[in-house]
Amino acid sequence: MPDSGYPWPIQTSRLDNGLRVVVSEDRTAPAVAVNLWYDVGSRHEPAGQTGFAHLFEHLMFEGSVNVAKTEHMKLIQGSGGSLNATTNPDRTNYFETVPAEHLELALWLEADRMGGLVPALTQETLDNQRDVVKNERRQRYENVPYGDAWLRLLPLLYPPGHPYHHATIGSMADLNAADLGTFQAFHQTYYAPNNAVLTVVGDATASDVFALADKYFGALPARDDIPPAPDGRNVPATGQTAVESVSADVPAPRVYIAHRSYPFGSAGYNVITVLATILGSGRGSRLYQRLADGERIAQPDLVGAYGVDLAHAPAPLIATATARPGVSAERLAEGLAEVVDELATVPVTAAELDRAKALLSTGWWRQLSTVDGRADLLGRYTTQFGDPARIAEQLPALLAVTAEQIAEAAAEVLATDRVTLTYLPEETS
Amino acid sequence: MTLIADRPGPGAARPYRFPPVVRRAAAGGQVVAAHLPGQNLAVALLLLDVGAGQEPVGKEGLSGVLAKALEEGTAQRDAAAYALAVEGLGTALSTGLDWDSFQASVVIPVDRLSAAVELLAEAVRTPRLDPVDVRRVRDDEATALRMDWANPGPRADAALRADLFGAQNRWGRPMHGDPESVAGLDVEDVTVFHSEWFLRPGTLIVAGDLDRIDLDALAAAAFAGTGGGLAERGGPIEVPLHSGRRIILVDRPGSVQSTLRLGHPSPHRAHPDHVPMTLAGTVLGGAFTSRLNHLLREVHGYTYGIRGDFAASRRFGRFAVSSGVQTAVTAPALVEAVGEITRTQATGVTEEELEVARSWRAGQLSVELQSPRAIASALTTLVVHDLPDDYHARLRESLLSADVDQVSAAAATHLHPEALTLVIEGDAAVIRDDLEATALGDLLP
Repeated sequence: MPDSGYPWPIQTSRLDNGLRVVVSEDRTAPAVAVNLWYDVGSRHEPAGQTGFAHLFEHLMFEGSVNVAKTEHMKLIQGSGGSLNATTNPDRTNYFETVPAEHLELALWLEADRMGGLVPALTQETLDNQRDVVKNERRQRYENVPYGDAWLRLLPLLYPPGHPYHHATIGSMADLNAADLGTFQAFHQTYYAPNNAVLTVVGDATASDVFALADKYFGALPARDDIPPAPDGRNVPATGQTAVESVSADVPAPRVYIAHRSYPFGSAGYNVITVLATILGSGRGSRLYQRLADGERIAQPDLVGAYGVDLAHAPAPLIATATARPGVSAERLAEGLAEVVDELATVPVTAAELDRAKALLSTGWWRQLSTVDGRADLLGRYTTQFGDPARIAEQLPALLAVTAEQIAEAAAEVLATDRVTLTYLPEETS
Repeated sequence: MTLIADRPGPGAARPYRFPPVVRRAAAGGQVVAAHLPGQNLAVALLLLDVGAGQEPVGKEGLSGVLAKALEEGTAQRDAAAYALAVEGLGTALSTGLDWDSFQASVVIPVDRLSAAVELLAEAVRTPRLDPVDVRRVRDDEATALRMDWANPGPRADAALRADLFGAQNRWGRPMHGDPESVAGLDVEDVTVFHSEWFLRPGTLIVAGDLDRIDLDALAAAAFAGTGGGLAERGGPIEVPLHSGRRIILVDRPGSVQSTLRLGHPSPHRAHPDHVPMTLAGTVLGGAFTSRLNHLLREVHGYTYGIRGDFAASRRFGRFAVSSGVQTAVTAPALVEAVGEITRTQATGVTEEELEVARSWRAGQLSVELQSPRAIASALTTLVVHDLPDDYHARLRESLLSADVDQVSAAAATHLHPEALTLVIEGDAAVIRDDLEATALGDLLP
């Protein structure tokens, strides 16, 4: 194994308009990944406009000055490429992986929608994509058992007014109220070159990419007054335990225990990452060994623990379990809480620590095994920490976490406000 | 203007190259490997020539229970020790099943591959299968399926499959079984299935830096203690088409969306029309830019997405379209979808559409075949369907050379809009009358 977590070259440049360009050459496959991180997410949305950053992401595929409606998809797929975009509380990313000879096309398309979306934006497009997003909300959150857990956890973890208080998908009422002018202003405000990072990974040389970036993005004007999202770094503890119980059409009781931990990118969050792996990843994890295998109160496939990698406020740490038939929600909640609380009282063994680090190490290399996986991570480190080279420190940092640090982090995080969300099948409630 | 109006053309195309394939017989089994120089990660995958198609009728889900039971202790160690041994290496045993094959695999840094393969073989070849554990795993699997079947989709899929292929046949029942079939399994079903199928050598597939991998040592571990020959695979199954369209309504009270599953039988994997059928399916429902997605999502906003494709195993295939549409527009969405399938069958595809479809499918062979996992999966295709080492390069050529006449002919021959089964899983009280009023077909009771 290499010592670095990133054994590929990284070269960077910054255009005069502030666009940061990151290139990581790898000639292994004749493919190239193009990725744009825009530093805007649902944390920027004011009250009454929840879901707008994500709906806007949809509009970015609907045409721009030189690209007709739906042509973006057609051109990328017609080049043999894959593409998509995602929005989360922190940021919006757009990405495509194409056979290397189509790199310039991808850059042209990205530049056109960065600089020329507004004139192409129509009421018809907005209405259509609003309907699509409402169907996305139905499909992913409303029509599946437990589908709204994330929507319920966020307001319990973060107070009103906090940038993470509301979920990225937004509310139906706000989506219905969305008007065209708001979206035109949204683009003008946030989709500026100095609010973005362009990353290219794969079969391309840095000098070529820098020249092409300058050719297509170089003349786009910077914007100097991009408003920041509300500062969410300090979340005052309430000293209260938040408990929410939901009776719903679900097949079995399920419990989530959540805490605010540390922001992604901090030393504390690295500790939480290892802690969550010890607690809830795999058959050797504490939750599996204790609740699924030991006491046999939880369904084996549905125990887990994870940190949510948000960077602008203390990020959630979530543990969950679903009851085996005949096990009550109360019994499950007690069992889950006991195992979670023991993180602060029962020291992590060397074997537990080694297991977690081995799993995280493989997970890291899997993430980096494709050019698109690498491009997204480089965009993240550049956007959130100002330096793509920090990517190389991530794996060594995880591997350096100690049992003492885990005990300290557990004691600190578990002592903060606890959120417990329980789902109960309707007929038994 | 700050933007460049002219769309750039492509640069010089890089040659397509599938990694060199190594095949050899070793230690009583077959090894098929791809060399990925410099790659830190490696994949080892043990492919067994037994799929859901070999499960007896009434015993659906048997392979799934066996797969889980493999990790409940081996001849050498108990379940907890096994989990710690595997996860201590940084990997997990991953299992998968389709109609033709079963696979167990590990993804791991290459320097630990041999230890991982030894553990993989230990579970597959020498599981303890203690009756108490097998019963518990069976009960857990039945519960897991009940959880899964509480989501929209599995019940509709099962209804479609039964209607296309007949519930009296194994291939007319869900690939992974249903909660009842799994709950009805007994310990002997599992142990007999294991000794009949899991002690044959099978094929070891490896994707990684072969300069750092000893294939013979891996083969010795993977095939130790195995015996028995290849199983009789059986030829393609003739599946008759229905004589008219029918609608099957699966009630899901209170559902805010209706789940659509439309389909009919189609040819098996080795059919000579495989490539033009794939392309016809791509134009109709395969890519984001497909006719169905364009119409139902981008024009009407009825759905977050709709897909359609031809899928095929060794012995049979099916054409299917799937989507979730807002409850209130269930009937018009269904009418539009059937209309688009009908139009595609009748009038074929255009050169403009086909250009996107063939470039996309061909380009995906470069774009998607990067990770060791993806390469291992491609090797699996070679083995399951008896394809040559240069299959992917040849496939690329066939995709790029398919013309409008061939693909339109495949659409005309292999799409059967009049024989579609239309399964709708949704709030029956709300949508039943609208569905009947579409007159798209008989609503089955």
